[in-house]
Amino acid sequence: MLPIVEKSGIVLELELRKMMRDQSDIVIRAITPILWLTIFGSVFSQIRQIPLAGVSYLAYITPGVLAQSVLFMSIFTGVSLVWERDFGQLDRLLSAPIPRTSIVLGKALAGGVKSLFQAGIILAIAFLLGVSIISNPAYMVAVIVLVVIFGICFSSLSILVTVLLKTRERVMGIVQLISMPLFFASNALYPVDLMPVWLQVVSLVNPMTYFVAALRALMITGNLSALPMDILGIGVATAFFVAAASLAFRKLGV
Amino acid sequence: MSKAIAVTNLVKQYNSLKAVDSISFDVEENEIFGCLGPNGAGKTTAIRCMTTLTRPTAGRLEIFGTSVIENPDDVRKSIGYVPQSLSLTSELSGYENLLIAAKIHGVSSDKRREKIEQMLNLLGIGERANDVVRHYSGGMMRRLEIGTALIHSPKLLILDEPTIGLDPQGRRVIWELLRMLVKEHGITIFMTTHDMAEADALCQRIAIMNRGKIVAVGTPAELKRGLGGDIVTIEVKDNAKRAAALLEKQGVKVNMINEKSISMVVESAERRLAGFVESLADGGVQIESISAQRPTLDDVFLKYVGSRMGEVESGGEWQQVRQVRRTIRRMG
Repeated sequence: MLPIVEKSGIVLELELRKMMRDQSDIVIRAITPILWLTIFGSVFSQIRQIPLAGVSYLAYITPGVLAQSVLFMSIFTGVSLVWERDFGQLDRLLSAPIPRTSIVLGKALAGGVKSLFQAGIILAIAFLLGVSIISNPAYMVAVIVLVVIFGICFSSLSILVTVLLKTRERVMGIVQLISMPLFFASNALYPVDLMPVWLQVVSLVNPMTYFVAALRALMITGNLSALPMDILGIGVATAFFVAAASLAFRKLGV
Repeated sequence: MSKAIAVTNLVKQYNSLKAVDSISFDVEENEIFGCLGPNGAGKTTAIRCMTTLTRPTAGRLEIFGTSVIENPDDVRKSIGYVPQSLSLTSELSGYENLLIAAKIHGVSSDKRREKIEQMLNLLGIGERANDVVRHYSGGMMRRLEIGTALIHSPKLLILDEPTIGLDPQGRRVIWELLRMLVKEHGITIFMTTHDMAEADALCQRIAIMNRGKIVAVGTPAELKRGLGGDIVTIEVKDNAKRAAALLEKQGVKVNMINEKSISMVVESAERRLAGFVESLADGGVQIESISAQRPTLDDVFLKYVGSRMGEVESGGEWQQVRQVRRTIRRMG
């Protein structure tokens, strides 16, 4: 096996072992998306003026809320990294024979896998609220893969921000600052067509838009005509952030 | 035989600050080499260079003949490193910490279990192996950290303040462990400390560091001998002048302290005292008391740095200890 893959797997294992010891994080983080679905979703379902191409509003925002929870889960990957840097854990890892890219990839993958647990919880709630989700197994597998990839994408962004900003306070601040606009300047809660033109432009460079569109096609509408474009958008963003985070990370040592 | 560590004119500069200012020294194989100095002397920066965590600005740095600057990956395979602040994953068990360390360092899967078992026994934490590290005592955490740094059998162990924040008992256990590693496993240890007693008791050789420079290198005994020897003070009943005259016949330079006491620096007090007592008794001088004081590393430090360690730090030590305690509390 390639050392970079093998060592990424070890970093992933470390993160997952930590998660297994304390699942409270996963459960607590699931509360916010559940509130979005049960409260925001239920209330806004009463407004019939949003053009949704024939699906209920609750069904419309389910992929959006799922995407949001993946975003919020993985965007905090970097915060734990600051923590590890303040203690000696990161120094230990950097002084070991392990490729820098593996540290980034392993942690980002862990963000993706954690996001899957969130996705499971949210889908269960949506199902209970009467949202009908396409049950084609191939589509479901595609959703799972996309969730993991998107988790990697935002975890890498988070690691990049951390390496550049260095202190916990700054990282926390910037993470809060970027996560909300990423959410609102996307098609998670409303169609892009409803936005003012400048916001439409922003939403086009927002990876979140492509992710939500892909999820919506695979989970709700079944209309896959735009899926290749969405996957391309997600792929480009993920490759960019992984590469940028790895490069920035390499500067930490020799 | 190549040196364990060879440092030549090493410089590490951060903007205008020269954290390490052209230092040179060698660490021989199979010794405990201590780097002693106040906080901010540049000890940790020197360690960060050795452990490939930062790139030196200038100079040469080789570990077992391999350049840290040119081949950092090879160096990473041959060293074990324990940083000053806690580097364990406190959410996981002792066993899991060793397991992850073994995997990261590429210990092959068929040897892993056996190695971990051996290490747990060596560290004396076999019974608590499956407890979460957060519930360990400070001393156990430190031992486990040393274990995770040794799991791939490196020849060189680099420790940054290995006993900081430990009680005297925990400190002694760590000392025993380190001595055993050197004696029975042939390991070389480079460590930093700001504790004179620790450097004196544990290290075969010491480099004293201050403001980014190394001001003295040698065995503790050599460094102390460099001060000229032991200080002997003699109090007599009366007539110190006569006592001085008698002793000067033996070739000793005597300082008069007052009418009743004299002092002198001699190379080896234990060899000379009997002769002093005899000649004073023969000369009819009555001795009230006699004392010999060995110079301590504190005196050595005073000579080279110009002030005592505590004065240099001006409260820094206290703050650092508090920081470490806070760290441990946070993890618990």
